Amino acid sequence: MSHASHPESGGSTYLWLAAVPFSLFLLLTWGLSRHALPWQLDIPWIPSLGLSLAFRVDGFSAQMLALITGIGTWVFVYASGYLAHEPRRGRLFVVLILFMLAMVGAVTADNLILLFLFWELTSITSFLLVGFNHEPAEARAASRQALLVTMGGGLAMLGGLVLLGQMAGTWTLSGIVAAGPTLANDPRLPYALVLVLLGAFTKSAQFPFHFWLPNAMSAPTPVSAYLHSATMVKLGIYLMARLDPAFNDLLFWEVMLIGSGTVTAVWAAVLALRERDLKRILARSTVSALGTMTLLIGLPSAGAGLAVVAFMFAHALYKAPLFMVAGNIDHATGTRNIDQLLGLRRAMPWTAAAAVLAGLSMAGLPLSFGFVAKDIIAVAKAESELFTLVSYATVLVNAVAIAVAGVAAVRVFWGPLELPRNQVHEVSWRMLLPPLAIVFLGMEFEFFPALADPLLLAAARSIAPGLGEVSLSAAYDLEALLSATGITALIGLLFFLAWDRMHEALHTLNRFDRYGPAALYDRLLHGLARIAAWHTRHLQHGRVSGYLQLTLAALLSMGMFGWLHTDSRLELTWDWPDHAWAWAVACLLLVAGAAAAATLRTRIAVLMASGLVGYGSAVLFLFAGAPDLALTQFAVETVLVVVAASVLPHYGTAPLQQEPLRASSGVLAAAAGIGFSAAGAFEQSAGEWRTRRVVRSDQPGRGPWPQCG
Amino acid sequence: MSLILMLAISIAVAVGVLLVLSRDVFRLIVGLAVLGSATNLIVFAAARPGGLIPAVIEAGATQLPAAAANPLPQALVLTAIVIGFALLCFALVLGAYLARQGGQQNVDRLTAAEPAATDPVKPPVLEQ
Repeated sequence: MSHASHPESGGSTYLWLAAVPFSLFLLLTWGLSRHALPWQLDIPWIPSLGLSLAFRVDGFSAQMLALITGIGTWVFVYASGYLAHEPRRGRLFVVLILFMLAMVGAVTADNLILLFLFWELTSITSFLLVGFNHEPAEARAASRQALLVTMGGGLAMLGGLVLLGQMAGTWTLSGIVAAGPTLANDPRLPYALVLVLLGAFTKSAQFPFHFWLPNAMSAPTPVSAYLHSATMVKLGIYLMARLDPAFNDLLFWEVMLIGSGTVTAVWAAVLALRERDLKRILARSTVSALGTMTLLIGLPSAGAGLAVVAFMFAHALYKAPLFMVAGNIDHATGTRNIDQLLGLRRAMPWTAAAAVLAGLSMAGLPLSFGFVAKDIIAVAKAESELFTLVSYATVLVNAVAIAVAGVAAVRVFWGPLELPRNQVHEVSWRMLLPPLAIVFLGMEFEFFPALADPLLLAAARSIAPGLGEVSLSAAYDLEALLSATGITALIGLLFFLAWDRMHEALHTLNRFDRYGPAALYDRLLHGLARIAAWHTRHLQHGRVSGYLQLTLAALLSMGMFGWLHTDSRLELTWDWPDHAWAWAVACLLLVAGAAAAATLRTRIAVLMASGLVGYGSAVLFLFAGAPDLALTQFAVETVLVVVAASVLPHYGTAPLQQEPLRASSGVLAAAAGIGFSAAGAFEQSAGEWRTRRVVRSDQPGRGPWPQCG
Repeated sequence: MSLILMLAISIAVAVGVLLVLSRDVFRLIVGLAVLGSATNLIVFAAARPGGLIPAVIEAGATQLPAAAANPLPQALVLTAIVIGFALLCFALVLGAYLARQGGQQNVDRLTAAEPAATDPVKPPVLEQ
């Protein structure tokens, strides 16, 4: 499959791999035409835990699948062109396919744990793809950031899902949605929802987790187009929309979604104006669009469900081509800085055409599917009572979207060419066809909405069951057109014209950056490393006595903790056993040996004294029914003298120094003396000697230890 | 009686800890020995020693005599004695080697096995 125009690339460009998503797409369309939704599949996995490989495809899942496989097909084609010169492209394609399968799993999984597994798998593949060009430190930092933020959220989500599963008594997503209203009075519900929303917000880059997505733009452009605009970042939206029918009536849910969605949409729009990098501008506007989707999910009306699916569809259909356009420009000129990009129209006519058409859709202007979506959104918002503030916010967000579309589609292509003419060239067909194809698909849906109607309506009904009979068609009513689009378009045009001036003005925001969540993330990571360094320096200081002190203190505190939590009594008696004299000798030897070892100053004498302690215990063993122990102990103590005699000369002949008694050592020694032997005594008095009782009462030959002899 | 035994063990443990916390490498090793013996005794004493009859089943009998000693702590302690002895021999040789190599017997200055403060394994304190 190697292309003639890339003689140096060597090997396959893997264009044929586009057949993987495409065949899945065909399978999906075939299935949709033959079998009524929903499709269900349930394979037992760990039945005792209620876990199963449960999959369920309803209208909403089908729409997501269509996006994943449909956009995926074109992304694979695009990637084969974009990475034609990249020697490691095989690796990228493998991870891309893995990612696609994980996405397919995530949007079809009905079991909560299964959903979590696929969800985290998309995070991991995203990490690998963002860090694909791993040599620049920023790329590594960006991929780590994307991973930590989304996986941290995913962990929270797992907690939330488990809570929801316990509350509802079912482990299927559909079951939880069905049980939704009955959960409203459960005191655990807010915690569960906050945890689940943490997962959704981090995945979909909602405020305050919006910072990772623009940084993830260090990924190769096909990845940005696929993961970070069309599919993966919509997983959070997907989950929220899924759960929406269950919790729609909760004020808590509504406030969280509308609040966070609005803040995200507005703030990301403002931040988009601060960027000069084309891809980062698009990323900011993606975050803004995701915020709008969150806001729409939070709206109580059924029409909002339709608005969500239509906007999601439209967004994927215009944002992926725009990313591809940015990639083409990057590929052709070597830069993505909009200051250097002007008048590329003549050099890159086809890219310019794709950009303009996608830009139309993004701006929500007529002749595009974006217009249909915008119309539906306007209807949904009109149906719901919105805070005035939110209404104004959406006008601002839409205006910035128009301005971004203008920058990405108009500004860089019109005007005089800034770069040397010979530096700019149109890209290969593999990088031109995909954006054009996706854009034309979007236009087709605009002119023949009936094509998209069944899919989108089925999708909308599965997340908004109350949706009545509607059909997707833009109202070309002039009044509505003016009110819905005219004013925003005008403001958007102003934003577009004043882009550079606003950019300058927004520089003042820089000083607040160090209080933002991105800075907080940096500080947290930094703090973690500092704590690790501090703790290593203080715990692993290289002083043996310090190690021993710490170990003993820890052991004693644990013993103390155990003592405080036990109810056994200490029973020490004065009863003399048989051979009491022998025990007394043993005790005497112990004490005398210990005392001598502590006070003597000659090494051999200290060693002998410690041997006395051993002899003492040996005597005790001998008169406590353990002659084998006694024998061993005597032998050991004797052999030790021989060993020591051969080693002692290496320690020198100078007598041991008198050491001052340190307070800490004294306290530890006293505590250990009391504590350890008390522990032994406790053990002794804690109930009967069970083994003996068992032997006595049991049948002969059924002792707890193996019979011998 | 158990009280007196416990008192004796307490003293042995305390002395063992004192020796172990000593800065002298030789005292530290002797402390290990004392602490080891004392610990064995704790384990042994915790299982209510009393019977003088060893835990051996007579030929022809099917169970232990009622007054026999408890064999479980004996098994534990026997293992501990042997391991303790090996540890002690090893520590004596290691201590002698380290002391000669370091030219002194202060355990806190015997840091040949520690990475240097500039070692990359030890994370540097990051400056913000």
